[in-house]
Amino acid sequence: MSTFVDEKPTQELEAFKGVKKVPHEEYYTSGHRTCQGCESAQIMKLMAKAAGPRTIILGSTGCMYVANTSYYATPWGVPWMHTQLGSSGSAALGAAASLRVQMRKGVMKDEPINVIAFCGDGGGADMGLGAISATMCHPDYNLLILMYDNESYANTDIQISGTSPYGVNTSFSTPGKVKRIMNHRWKKNMAPLMLVGHPTVKYVGTISTSYPLQAMNSVRKALSVGGPTFIHCLNPCPKGWDFDPVLSFELGELAVNTGIWPLYEVENGKLKLYGKTEQIASGRFKRLPVRDYLLKQGRFAHFIEEDIDYFQSKIDDMWNKWLVPGIIPLQKDIETE
Amino acid sequence: MGQLFAVEVIYRGVFQKTLAKNITRDIVLAAHNEGKLGISFGRYGDAPERNGIPAKSFAIVANDELTLEAGMAQYEPKQVDLTLVLDDTLCKGGESWAWYGLQPVHHALKPGHTLIVISLEDAPTLLKSIHRREEPYKLGIMKGITSFSGMWVFKDDHTDVRVLGAIAKALPEVFSLKSVEQFINEKLKSAAKVTSARNAFERFTTVPVKAGQGNPEVPFAFEKPGWEDMRSAVSIKGQPQGGPYPDPATGKVGGFRPARNELFKKYSTRTLRPVINFSTCTKCTLCWLNCPDASFDVTPEGTYDANLEACCGCGVCEEVCPVKDCVHMVNESEFHDNKSQWEAFRNDKDAYLKWLESTIEKAEPIEKRSHGFRYRGQYAEQVPEALEIAKKG
Repeated sequence: MSTFVDEKPTQELEAFKGVKKVPHEEYYTSGHRTCQGCESAQIMKLMAKAAGPRTIILGSTGCMYVANTSYYATPWGVPWMHTQLGSSGSAALGAAASLRVQMRKGVMKDEPINVIAFCGDGGGADMGLGAISATMCHPDYNLLILMYDNESYANTDIQISGTSPYGVNTSFSTPGKVKRIMNHRWKKNMAPLMLVGHPTVKYVGTISTSYPLQAMNSVRKALSVGGPTFIHCLNPCPKGWDFDPVLSFELGELAVNTGIWPLYEVENGKLKLYGKTEQIASGRFKRLPVRDYLLKQGRFAHFIEEDIDYFQSKIDDMWNKWLVPGIIPLQKDIETE
Repeated sequence: MGQLFAVEVIYRGVFQKTLAKNITRDIVLAAHNEGKLGISFGRYGDAPERNGIPAKSFAIVANDELTLEAGMAQYEPKQVDLTLVLDDTLCKGGESWAWYGLQPVHHALKPGHTLIVISLEDAPTLLKSIHRREEPYKLGIMKGITSFSGMWVFKDDHTDVRVLGAIAKALPEVFSLKSVEQFINEKLKSAAKVTSARNAFERFTTVPVKAGQGNPEVPFAFEKPGWEDMRSAVSIKGQPQGGPYPDPATGKVGGFRPARNELFKKYSTRTLRPVINFSTCTKCTLCWLNCPDASFDVTPEGTYDANLEACCGCGVCEEVCPVKDCVHMVNESEFHDNKSQWEAFRNDKDAYLKWLESTIEKAEPIEKRSHGFRYRGQYAEQVPEALEIAKKG
């Protein structure tokens, strides 16, 4: 059977078999100017550690550009380049294509080099969506797009984005005396969007910084599987979500345990839930009430019982009514006429 | 040209953003009652602001428009008539977002002028942290609990009006107590706040600080790299890889210390620091793996040592540590150096454990800390204690 897809080999990155097996080397070290308890910096560290030394990283505008590279404040130990806010997709594709050409022409040694482009939720789910979508349609190039999602434009002081949760307080949705809820949008479901819309993509996953080993292994798999891949990571943001930085880790866990943030990966069309999400789906763990998560954050401090109930009902629907619980928002009952 | 006055407010980014913004605005409005003109603004180089970083807000006030415009033409005031420090852990100095090394807290203060610090400590204790300088100045302590809140929250604990009262005493050329009272009555409309401002005015005193008095440490400095130091395509050098390092007790080389940015450190971003009991550590890796700042060195023994050049004091290590008595977050004002705790432990285990015991006694349990939002109603609970201090001074 002939195929016109011109695949190149990837690096073989085996999963880390436990926290004690994680290498000590850092490719994203100290020297950045992020907030106390910044989980976005944490995913950069894990991502770079998982990818290893033969990696090129591209970053679109956002906290992880500004806080990491202003005025010699760089923590990067692998080549890193800035790209425009909406162009993480094009930059990743361009870099992968350029590596291929340079290797073909003999300008550089022919070896598999990881190409990762990261973007924030503003750069990925809002502005860069078109470019990422286009990139996901090019099966010939090995690259990973990792979206770190702190649910707002946090760098410029917390403006609303396509992934900001319902009802949240941001600079653009400040609750008032007359209108309490100023954001009526529900969070954009990015990973399934990439998955369902781009049938040739071999790997799409969601991760959380509170599960660092699984997050790193997800990055390693995405880089090994070949072709364009996509990972969506939820990062609690002490500044924008308004909480004591000590809670950074706990809120990441709570997002998963309340069912708000399901953890899964889809490899070659095969869905695998993991961690607490798998336990929730199989009935071995009862979802915690969303209020446990909401009430620990200042950005939901204006919520009254009614709002918490509404939020809970939407999460319940996601688990009880969706065709693939927590992931694909089609109703279970399919009309057949 | 008339006279120009500049006041700078040094505060903890995001946690005190609204407070600092309000104070500098209020300074201008109070001075306006005396026919003066003014403007308040945040330091450009601090934006976008991050949690906990030392940031600055300014108020400049002038007798006439031309003088004010001349003052506004500056990027930031080079010399200020009064420096106000909203968190006493900032006495160790501040590092700006646009990196100049560690700036002593009084580096812009005119000789002989007043440095006001909000603190529960006394002057000798604060002077252990505040760097020496050549010119004498005055140190005034306004007794108070550090007022911390969040991105959008203004914690109404009267810190703002008390500061105005203290400034009226320290710098009467800018505004009198009468103008402060007028401002509070007209704009904030609160009799209790007038009382708080008056109390602060009456009780505010300063102590003279002589030339050469204070912390003898030479502040961290470096030569700023210029454009010529960049490589082709405006690129800069990445960070090298770290490696093993020796155990001071045995000389045995092992573990792993990551290379860290030589120019960019986090000495002044902390309000708390982790204090580690190496004898209870189970080497579970969690603090090291979950630290967003890669601040843990893996020691040759396999334990984890928070490197205080890189730690910004978020407390995630304390949170993820599964051992009850291993990592404790202690207020930064308890410490006067950034030396490795593990090396102290290796050099004299008993002395270290003794020090550890007495140090972690001062650690406030997390339920009592005020380091940002944890639960609803938390700020309202904290206000009465702050008001009690405002009353007693």
